[in-house]
Amino acid sequence: MLRQVKPKTARAKRAIEKKAPKAIENPKKALFLRGTTCSQITQDALADLYAFRQVHGKRFTKKNPVHPFEDASSLTFFSEKNDCSLILFASSSKKRPHNITFARTFDYKMLDMLEFNLDAETYRSISQFKTQKIPVATRPLMVFAGTAFESPVPNAFTMAKSMLLDFFRGENVDKIDVEGLRYVVVVSTDEPTTDGTADPSDPASKPVLHLRVYLIRTKRSGQRLPRVELEEHGPRMDFRLGRVQEPEEAILKEAMRKAKTSEERTKKNISTDLMGDKIGRIHTGKLDLSELQTRKMKGLKRDRDPHLLDDDADMNVAMKGVDLDEEPKRKRKI
Amino acid sequence: MAAPAAAAAPASTSTSTSTVKAPKLSVTVDKPTPYHFDLGLLLANDPNPLDISRSDPLQREADLAAVARDGAQSLINQLLTTCQISSTPHGVLLSLPPPQTALPREKPIPAPKAETKWSAFAKRRGIAPKTREQRRNLELDEKTGEFGRRWGYNGANKAGQDEPIIELNAAKEAARKEGTTVRGDKRREIREKVRRNDRRMRKNERNAESAKK
Repeated sequence: MLRQVKPKTARAKRAIEKKAPKAIENPKKALFLRGTTCSQITQDALADLYAFRQVHGKRFTKKNPVHPFEDASSLTFFSEKNDCSLILFASSSKKRPHNITFARTFDYKMLDMLEFNLDAETYRSISQFKTQKIPVATRPLMVFAGTAFESPVPNAFTMAKSMLLDFFRGENVDKIDVEGLRYVVVVSTDEPTTDGTADPSDPASKPVLHLRVYLIRTKRSGQRLPRVELEEHGPRMDFRLGRVQEPEEAILKEAMRKAKTSEERTKKNISTDLMGDKIGRIHTGKLDLSELQTRKMKGLKRDRDPHLLDDDADMNVAMKGVDLDEEPKRKRKI
Repeated sequence: MAAPAAAAAPASTSTSTSTVKAPKLSVTVDKPTPYHFDLGLLLANDPNPLDISRSDPLQREADLAAVARDGAQSLINQLLTTCQISSTPHGVLLSLPPPQTALPREKPIPAPKAETKWSAFAKRRGIAPKTREQRRNLELDEKTGEFGRRWGYNGANKAGQDEPIIELNAAKEAARKEGTTVRGDKRREIREKVRRNDRRMRKNERNAESAKK
C-alpha cells in the first residue's frame, strides 16, 4: 500500500479526490508494459492495442522483470501508482512465445489474469492496412461470435470476453453521435474440436480467438436502414488462451456490486414508450358492483314496509285523478 | 463485396429506368439463433456456431469478414430501430440504454458519509441543506446597490471594526479581559467561531471513527 497522506494543498486534495472510489466510476485506465524479454511482434501488437486506448491508457517503455503468474505484486503496485485497473503485460519466452497477459485489478488488488498467446504467422499490424485510420477515442461497435462465449459456466472464453469488453468499451455515455459509429471490433472463435483425433495437450488443437477490426461503410439500400459493408482496418490478431487466474469469490462479489443511485431507482408502474410519451399504470381497487346503477324499473324497487303500502296507494290515487276526490273527504266526515 | 456494387453504380446512372428496378441491397440478417444485444455497450452477441476454414488463410479471412458483416449489420439495424434518434445542431444523436452486461468495478463502492451532529439534527427537524445560491459569498448591498462579499476580504461581517470612533458599552468594558481593547474585538470573535467549528469537526470525526469499530 502507498502512504496515505493528508492533502496540504487544494491541488493535492483534488488529485486524491480524483483517485477516490466513486459510486459512478470513471472509465478504467489501461497500463501497457513489457517484460525483460519481448519479441518485436509482441511489442508491435501491444502498440496496436495501445492505439485503441490512447485516451485512457498509459504506456511504459522500459523493461520490467515481472512474472505475473508467479508474483503479481509489481503489477498491483503499478496499478495503484498509476491508477490503472487494466494491465496488458507483453512478454515472450521459449515456452510461451508472443504472450500478452491481460490482468484486471479491483481496489489495487489482483482480480483476474489471462494469457493471450499471439499467433505470430497470422498477425498483421494496423500499419499494414492502407486504410483511413479511426480518430482517437471513438467508441467501437463490438461483436462476439461463437458458442464458446455463451457458456453459462465461467471459463477462459467468458473471461476473455469480459476483459475485451472492459478494454474496448470506452467512455460510458448515454448519447452517441451516429457519425461516431465508425468501426467494429469482432471477436470470433472456432468451434472446439470434438473428434477424438486431436490431442488435448497440444496447444494447436485449442480453439482460436480471432480479433479483427473493420471500418464501417454504409450504403444506401433503398430502404430505411443502410447496407453495411466492412473494410479491414487492423490489427489482425489470432490468440490461443493460455494460463488463467480465476478471480477470488469474495473479491469478485465485491467487484460486481452495483451502487445504489437515485437515477437507477425508477418509479414503479411509470414507463416511457417509444414515442417518448409517459405511460402510467394505476390500481383502482375492486369495484362494488352491488351499488351499480342499472336501468330504473318499478318492479325492481326496494321492498316497502307492508303497513305503509296502503297510504302510498291512496296518495297515488289522489294525485292521478280528480274524479275520486270524493272518497277521502267522505272518510273524513265519518 | 465493394467491387460488384461499384460496378453496378455507373451502369444504373446511364439508364434511368433501370435505377428504380435495380436489385435492392439486403439489409436483413437471417441466423438460426437470433443475436442478443447490449446496446449500452454497443455490443452484439452471435451465439451461432461458426464454420471457419482452418487450412486456407484466404478462405478464413473471408469467413470471418462475413461473420463480422452480419454482426455489424444487425447491430446497426438494432441501434437505428430501437434507440431514440434526435437531431441536434451537433449531429444526429442516438440515446443508448444503460449497459446490461455486468463488468467488475475498479474500486469498491464508497461508504456512505458518517452523520454529523448537525446533519442528524437537521434531519430530525426537516431542515433542508442550503442551496448553492444561499452559499454564495456575494450579496447585494441594499444601500449602495452593489454586490459585496459576505465574508473574507472587505466582508460585510467585518463592517464597522475599523471605524475611527466606536461607541463603548459600559457593561462589556467592565467584563473585558486584561490587555484587550475594543479594537480587534470583531476579529477575536471570528477566530473564536472558527476554533469552535474546528473542535466540532474533530469531535464528529472521532465519533465516526468509533462508530466504525
